[in-house]
Amino acid sequence: MSDFDSELDASGLNCPLPILRAKKAISALDAGQTLRIIATDPGSVKDFEAFCKQTGNELKSSGEEDGKFVFLIQKAA
Amino acid sequence: MIHRLSGPERKASILSAAQGLFARKGLHGVSVDEIARAANVSPAIIYRHFDSKQTLYTAVLEKFAGQRQSYVDTVVNHGTNFEDVLAGMTWVYIENIAKNPDILRIELHSLLEGNPATLAFFQNRWKSFTDYIEFGLNETLPYNIPHREITILSAGLMFQGMVREALIQKCLQPQDRLVDVSLHELSYELVTLFLRSIGINKTHLSRKATIAG
Repeated sequence: MSDFDSELDASGLNCPLPILRAKKAISALDAGQTLRIIATDPGSVKDFEAFCKQTGNELKSSGEEDGKFVFLIQKAA
Repeated sequence: MIHRLSGPERKASILSAAQGLFARKGLHGVSVDEIARAANVSPAIIYRHFDSKQTLYTAVLEKFAGQRQSYVDTVVNHGTNFEDVLAGMTWVYIENIAKNPDILRIELHSLLEGNPATLAFFQNRWKSFTDYIEFGLNETLPYNIPHREITILSAGLMFQGMVREALIQKCLQPQDRLVDVSLHELSYELVTLFLRSIGINKTHLSRKATIAG
């Protein structure tokens, strides 16, 4: 069983598309559910920090895997 | 009393002098001696901070990369509507270039110089727009229109060309006819003209999105 409820691959996309697609994906989740996002834009690290700060969703983790940036965001209650 | 600059201050001062010269003359039009004179230091001091002119040029580009625009506010504040997000992004971009037109000058020199790494750097900045337009139109344009794929790609390039040319006129040639047009008006009109050209009614565009970023 995976430790997230939904996944979004935003590889190859520049800001604002990863954020925009994450926003749409999160809106389809229930409160407390998590979205895993994969991105390649180095700016996405700061972007997702700012996005979570502004929306109240929680950035559970942010890291690098196989040269890609991976984020786990939990939808706010 | 003469204030001696610290190491980081000296480095920033060299970077600033180099930026101005690269913006006016391009990478190949400037010598290290010239940068040294503009920064009021000896060439040896320049080489103490930067290995070569190319390293210095790369450092200027990296400074621009550090000032990269974030469109997060635009997405958070203006929902996911294609037109409003595009308007918000355009305003953020135009405002940024107006504050620092050296970015545009260096981009124009790089197009003539043809250095692949530099061209990729600037193309990546525009990729936010071209990708966004491509994705947005892919979702909204009917599937049965002729030459759909090339239409979508051309739309992104058309927008890039429109915005860049308007910025050249507005920021680099201030004596031009756009002198009385505010940045807000320019941003709004560029987006509405673009949307109209691809068949999207401009009444959908929120004026707020064009000025709030």
